[in-house]
Formats: sequence, structure tokens, C-alpha cells
Amino acid sequence: MYDKTVRRRRAVLALLVVLSLILLTAYFGESADGGLHSVQRGFLTVVSPIQEGANKALKPVRDLFSWFGDTLHAKSQLAEVRKQNDILRKEAIAERADEHGYHELLALYHLDQLSLNSYRPVTATVVGKSPNIWYSTVWIDKGTSSGVHDNDPVVNEEGLVGKVALAASDAAVVDLITDSEVGVSARINGTNATGVVQPKVGDLNDLVLQYLPANTSISRGENVVTSGTVASPDDSLYPPGIPIGQVTSLNEESGYKSVNVHPLADLHNLDVVQVLTYTQGGMAARLTSLGASLPSARQTQAETTAGGESGQLASSTTGTGE
Amino acid sequence: MKLSGSLLTRIAVLVVVVVFFQIGVVSEVPVFAVTVDLSPLVVAFVGLLCGSTIGAATGFVVGLLVDLALVQTLGVTSLIFTLIGYWCGRLRELRDPQATLTPLLVGAAAAAAAAVGYSLVEFMLGVDAPVSLELLRQIVLGVVVDTIVALPMWAIVRRTLEPGLPDDPRRRRRRAYTTGGLSPLSRA
Repeated sequence: MYDKTVRRRRAVLALLVVLSLILLTAYFGESADGGLHSVQRGFLTVVSPIQEGANKALKPVRDLFSWFGDTLHAKSQLAEVRKQNDILRKEAIAERADEHGYHELLALYHLDQLSLNSYRPVTATVVGKSPNIWYSTVWIDKGTSSGVHDNDPVVNEEGLVGKVALAASDAAVVDLITDSEVGVSARINGTNATGVVQPKVGDLNDLVLQYLPANTSISRGENVVTSGTVASPDDSLYPPGIPIGQVTSLNEESGYKSVNVHPLADLHNLDVVQVLTYTQGGMAARLTSLGASLPSARQTQAETTAGGESGQLASSTTGTGE
Repeated sequence: MKLSGSLLTRIAVLVVVVVFFQIGVVSEVPVFAVTVDLSPLVVAFVGLLCGSTIGAATGFVVGLLVDLALVQTLGVTSLIFTLIGYWCGRLRELRDPQATLTPLLVGAAAAAAAAVGYSLVEFMLGVDAPVSLELLRQIVLGVVVDTIVALPMWAIVRRTLEPGLPDDPRRRRRRAYTTGGLSPLSRA
């Protein structure tokens, strides 16, 4: 009897561990359109109304706890924000003068088609968040029925927030820019120096802009914005010029430069965000599908090393505008 | 331990409520800049109350729910939580610890095992992004915060499941002892 119980116990454990490993292997190996991803999409569709209802019912509780934290945080930031406000006011006055000429140039080269005008912003409420350090994701209450697609860029009033990882009919999961799997093509504002913004896993207040040319002149406090290019087929075509963060420190590395960036968007307290959706057949949609057809960064690197010239294809979609 | 219909229903309700409360409320309220994670605590406490088989099965289901709901790599959380539930169940079956601080220590161990387990699996799967030393601080702070909420969470889990648990002879003996029936003091 005892032996039977022990055998059954061990068999259950072995079965569950093997099931987990099969799931892990299958999920890791399949594409975004695979069966397990579809199951996740279906699950999201089913439970999103429950989650949305629970979120609304429990919002007062959450707000109460957040209020204490926000008050303490706001007090500590007051002096710094006042100083920043003075600097920004001066910059705004200077930039207004340049704005007129900039728009004329954009219109001249028809580049404004690539800007936010090509996108239709969909406002969504954040209804859930992952507690895991390795997965920085949030749930939003808008999905494919509102025009949201996988990989759509997500912003808030402060700057870039992330991209849609998976969209169900009435909900979507957004990978934040601090998620370990997200990389954003970006540049230092006002320069042509582009690199890739990646998170520093474990540190939610720090990003790193890597692979900048070694001769780039950068100083602290400069703004980092999206470059409007894609770094890999899985990447989102973030429209150019969306603020990401501010440079906090510089690192010299062999061959290239990298800088630490503090994200502008307060990713701890997201409440309302905007998904930049596009209409099928529009400029943004065409460029996104073009980006998806590019060879992956690793593949391109391998081909370049092997003597091919296809490396020039990577990260170049903005130049293809009509 | 046999799984009765009442116990199964209670565990199912507890698991679903905790997972959605975690995603919708608890995760959005940072404490000391980290997030309290109730899921490993629930799995550990179900194991501690119901034994290794039910603990492991609960761990698998909670992990699957979390991975499905948050679009994480399927199987990672299930694997880690299955082992946590099993080990906590074995602890009950082998030692049956009765100290008041047992849930606190089990909660801390479960939180630490979950955090370290995630990190190990993620490193094994390959991390493209640079990893900050801040990760260690986040893990330690996360374990501390989870330990703080372990006792109230234990009270909730025990209160929810106890009516569905079969009457354990050891528990009945202890109850009789502490309420005076078998105490040498009451006989004197």
C-alpha cells in the first residue's frame, strides 16, 4: 500500500515535470502564429472581460495604495522637476523657431507620411501587470476589434511604453521597453547616431542604448528618440521621433559607444496608454510588412561575415518611403 | 491525501481568485519598488496543507494560468511551481512542522525558489539583453516582501481549505491535547 502511494506520487511529479518541459520546448520553438500562441490568444479573449471587470471593481483599493507611494515619490522629485522645467522651457522656445522650416522640409520630401499621421492612436486602459522581473508586460483593454495588431507601438503622454506582444479580440498584452525580449532602434535626438535600446534586466529604471558609433559626441541629459527603423523581423516599426528617455551616463567600449538611458515614461504607474495602430494597406502597414520580410540580425551578420553584402539590408526601412 | 470534491472546488476558486487578484491589483502596487508575488505562496501553502501530489498539481495549474494570462513562455512557471508545490507537500508529509513561524519560512523559501528558478531558466533559454546587478537586489527585496505577506496569505489559504480537508488524526490529537482533553495539566 505504501509502495503504491510512493509510486503514484512520483509518477504524478514526473508527469507534470515532463508536461512542463514539453510545453516549454514546443512554445520556445514555434513561431508567433503557432498552436500554443493561439491557445494563449484564446485564453486572453476568454478571460479579458473577467479581468476588466475585476480591475474596475478593485480600482479604488489599488488607487489607495498607489496614492501613498505617489505622494512620497512626488515630494522627492519636486526640486528636480522644477529645474528640468526651466531647461525645457528654454529648449521649447528655441525649437519652435526651427519647427516651421522642419515641416517645410518634411513636406518637400514627403517624409511626413512616415510620421504619426500614418497611425491611428487607440486609447486603452491598463488592466493588469506581470509581477515577474523577467517579463515586463501589461494587459490593456483594447484588442483586434479596435484595430490593434501584434507589434503595434504603444506610447503614453511621456514617451514610448512598448509594443503589443499579442492581441486578442478585446484585450492585448503589451511588452514594455524594460522587457528582456524588447529592443528598439533609436538615436540621440538631433544627431544621426543610431543604436539599439535594450533593457538592463532587473533594473526597471535603466535602459542601455548600444552600438553607437565610437566617434559620436554625446552628453548627459540628451534625449533618446526612436529612429523609425527596425532591428529585426520581430521588431515593431516605431514611428520616428517618439521620446524614449534621457542619457544618464556614458560607457566607452571597444569599437562602439553605449549610454545608459532613463526611460521618460513612468512604467511603474501606467494607467492609460495609446496604441498606434495602422490601417491595412496604408504606408505604415506596408513598411511593417517590409520590415518583417527582412532577414534577422543574426542571419544578416552571418551573411556579412561570409562575404555577402546583404548586411546593408538590415535596419533600413525609412528610406523606402514613396 | 484524497482529493474530495469540496477540496477541489476550494483549491480551484482560491487559485483563480489569487491569479486574477495578483495580475489586476497586487502587481500594480509596488512595495519598496518591487512587486509582491502571491502565486508561489499559494502553491507552497496548498502543498503544506494538502500534501505533495495535490501541491504539485496545484503548482502546475497555477503556473499554466500565469503563463497563459501574461503571455509568458509556456511551461516555465509550471515547471518551477510544480517543484515548489511538491517540496512543500513533502515537508508536510515527512516533518509535519507545527511551529508558528513555519509558514513564514516556507513562504520565504518558495519566493526565493521561484525567483532563482526563473532566473536560471531564463539564462538557460538565453538572454539577449544585458543583465544588471540590480537583479540581485530585486530578487532579495522580492523575497523579503513576499515573506512579509506570507503569514496573512497562510491564514487566508488555511481558512479557505480547512473545511474541505479530511480530519487528520494527528490534527485531532493535537486539538484534543491543546484544548485540555489529553493535557496532563487538565488531568491533574
